[in-house]
Amino acid sequence: MSKRAIDAVFEGLFLLTDIRVMLRETAPQHALDESQREKVRSLLDALEKELAVLREELA
Amino acid sequence: MKCTGTIDVRDVDESSINIDPIQVGGRLTPDAMKALIAYGDGYSVCDQCRKPFRLDYIRTPPIAQFHRDLASFVNMEIARVVPGARRGFQAVADAFISPGDPVLITALSHYTEVLAIEGRGGVIREIPKTGSNIITSEQAAQKIEEVTREFHRSPTLLFLDHFDYQYGNRHDVAGIIRVAHQYDIPVLYNGAYSVGIMPVDGKKIGADFVVGSGHKSMAAPAPSGMLATTSEWAGRVFRTTGVTTDVTKRTFGIKEIGMMGCTLMGVTLMGMMASFPHVRERVTHWEEELANGRKVVDALMSIEGTLIKSEYPRNHTLTRVDTTGSFDRVAQVHKKRGFFFSSALKGKGIAGIIPGATKVWKFNTYGMTGSQAEYLAAVFRDIARENGLAVTD
Repeated sequence: MSKRAIDAVFEGLFLLTDIRVMLRETAPQHALDESQREKVRSLLDALEKELAVLREELA
Repeated sequence: MKCTGTIDVRDVDESSINIDPIQVGGRLTPDAMKALIAYGDGYSVCDQCRKPFRLDYIRTPPIAQFHRDLASFVNMEIARVVPGARRGFQAVADAFISPGDPVLITALSHYTEVLAIEGRGGVIREIPKTGSNIITSEQAAQKIEEVTREFHRSPTLLFLDHFDYQYGNRHDVAGIIRVAHQYDIPVLYNGAYSVGIMPVDGKKIGADFVVGSGHKSMAAPAPSGMLATTSEWAGRVFRTTGVTTDVTKRTFGIKEIGMMGCTLMGVTLMGMMASFPHVRERVTHWEEELANGRKVVDALMSIEGTLIKSEYPRNHTLTRVDTTGSFDRVAQVHKKRGFFFSSALKGKGIAGIIPGATKVWKFNTYGMTGSQAEYLAAVFRDIARENGLAVTD
């Protein structure tokens, strides 16, 4: 594990924070409109990249 | 779900619309949440602390600049961060009040102002409120005259809340400060319910001290806040140590006595700083916040027997409401008694009302989206209808 892994951990946590905020903004029903869904999809894509970095670093 | 051990995850704001009157302005921005992740360790802002070893001199992270920005934000000259508005009150009280000094507050002042004065042995006198729960400059002038006759000197200090915690009513702070200054009384403006959610101009108001609450209105973790003042008073309230100890002959640089040295040395300050760009921007949207509040207030007023106890039309998002003639009537016969109301709200995803409250209670709509405000308004109407109360459309 290296500095790259540290950055990936923080970036991943920050991306999850953005999803958390989406839950707050849409409470209590969490009925996301299409643009909100698209935003969450894009956050999840970015999160998967950070997870991939961590897996690479572990290898 | 647990954070760990016996500590539950707190997900009130993820799962509900929170209308707790004291919580909504202190909810974190996304950037503050991220700062919390990175700066949670104890003295986390001290990595780059160099001579003269004082919080407001630290340049990385940009804490020194933040102090200048804070002063500018409320149009004052010098600012410090403090562990909550109450510690701002205390710092000013410590610098100004001697035992036996008369000190003015108002009939709607927060209890921490009382404690700050009591701690110094000051004698508290209250400016009364009108029948509409407003503090006016006329009453302030009258009280100052009374106190001056009683003590043969004018009050040492006046603590004045722009918006009070009980009704969220707006008080004529500029007019009252003008009157106080005619008697050479310095005034502490308590902006716990204004600084960070609406524009505040300390100079325009005429305040000698502006106090704000980070965790109440600046989207920051508790305890955090700010104290700003003019160059006239800064030397007194932010006076530095001059002591030399007798045995070790130690001195303590430029530590500020009233601040007890450094104040917010970690995550509270970083949360406050991370939110600040958003806070500075969000105060320009105060009218939209009021519009959201109106949707909810109008819904409550449409329910038979419900009274708005705060001034109307509303000038703040915190509102006191009396439902003795509506939801409390339902409570008298409901199988859940007084808990029916909070239970019904919870069932519809609304949090922040004290369980069992059906007579007089407060709520705050600050920070909700327009659709959340509409949803909340509909929830109040629906609960009324479901329980046989008449609702006017």
